[in-house]
Amino acid sequence: MDTGRIEKAIARGIELLGEFLPGAARLYFPLLHSVCVWAVRRIFNVRQEILAWQVWLEPEAIETKSDEFIASFFRRDERLRQSFGPELESEDKTALREAFAALYPVLGLEDVFLKDLFRAEIGSGEFRRIVSDFRSRIGRAIDDIAPALKETSLSRKLGALAREFASLGIHLLEDEDVQEMIIEGIRGKRIADGDA
Amino acid sequence: MPKKFGNGQRLAAPVLAGIIILAVSVSCASHLKKAKIYYARAGQEEAALRTERAVALYKLARFEASVEAEKDPSIQVFLVKGLAEVNLAMWKEAEASFVKAFALGHDPAQAWASDAALLGLAASFEAIGLDDSAGGVYENLMRNSKFRPAVMTSASKRTEAVLRKSLGLTPKEKGKALSALLRDLDKLIEDDYACGLYHYLASQVCGHSGDHERGYSEAVVARELGLSSEIILRDNDNQLVFCYKKLKDLLPSPEKEEFEARHAAWAARWGWPGPETPDWKKN
Repeated sequence: MDTGRIEKAIARGIELLGEFLPGAARLYFPLLHSVCVWAVRRIFNVRQEILAWQVWLEPEAIETKSDEFIASFFRRDERLRQSFGPELESEDKTALREAFAALYPVLGLEDVFLKDLFRAEIGSGEFRRIVSDFRSRIGRAIDDIAPALKETSLSRKLGALAREFASLGIHLLEDEDVQEMIIEGIRGKRIADGDA
Repeated sequence: MPKKFGNGQRLAAPVLAGIIILAVSVSCASHLKKAKIYYARAGQEEAALRTERAVALYKLARFEASVEAEKDPSIQVFLVKGLAEVNLAMWKEAEASFVKAFALGHDPAQAWASDAALLGLAASFEAIGLDDSAGGVYENLMRNSKFRPAVMTSASKRTEAVLRKSLGLTPKEKGKALSALLRDLDKLIEDDYACGLYHYLASQVCGHSGDHERGYSEAVVARELGLSSEIILRDNDNQLVFCYKKLKDLLPSPEKEEFEARHAAWAARWGWPGPETPDWKKN
């Protein structure tokens, strides 16, 4: 397995997505991650596999947390405590639960895709924005991917890329390492584009 | 590129050799043998929290078993196929596979087929919003099934449903509902103590009932025994830290100091940078 070649293939994938989805860097991670996962599975139907992609939000587990656990989640983090000070003070359980549903997967469980999707808001501490944009931004990411995949040339090229990943032995790498390589590649592209 | 990938040194030679041996042996084996190898590997990947790879291997196991079933149907091949389908939550397909294994003479497969059918029914109830009906099916399976995957799925589903419902109940009603659920979970723990999931679920229930001491202990046991996905493991760690903080505030001296020392030992064992910071929390 040649990790250098895998990295180069990831970089080519980022370039390819840049051509088809210009200015939509937030979509590159889920797309490339899907291609890599799909390469591992060696099921070569790109469009179907990528459209089946979804973020595992564990809605049931999140809905069932106790009020005490939710309050502790907000109090534990200095920045969250400040942002949601009024709700914590007035013990507005409904508002805290609503915010928790968006913030727990991003900050509590550290879902790698969601962290990347809300990278800017996490950096600037705009947690209320994560809450207000949560569903719509995830929905938009999926909506934006679907039409791009109708482009047969994109599907074909992603297919070739997945075959290449499979032949390079990407399945021998840890998932977390593959994710890190994709994030590093996208970060490099953003810096090169002045979008860091 | 992170330095750790240089020359692929993260893959120790024995691991790489193992993978190569597996690949070579799989390529030479019959479809049934391949299905069994993929199924076994899927279990290992699942235990190592590599869920995506486990799913991929269960799919491969099912594919190979299906090819063999067409060519040379046997009890073994339908059992492997059915078990792979159970792990992929393909209840109807699993039921059909187990029925075929039963028809060929494997008696326990009849009960498994029936449990897979019930799980499919519960999933259909949920899909159309009949949560109470689904809850009844899960409760029945949780109490009566002898088929471990069906019991685990039902225990998870029922716990989620009861906890969700309990949020809107009066304290008295809530206490009653949580006690009944915990009694059923205790029975599962008694029968199958090594299943991390049951301890994780018990910890979640204790978090709601305010029994943070047991909530903490169950989360520790769940962590030690292992859980089926990274996301559940992380949620369990968060629960563990939550209970730890609660107990730290509640316990009087010298119990508090003893408890903190005990927790510090666990945290060191798990490689946590601090008592309230799991290893996966990077910031």
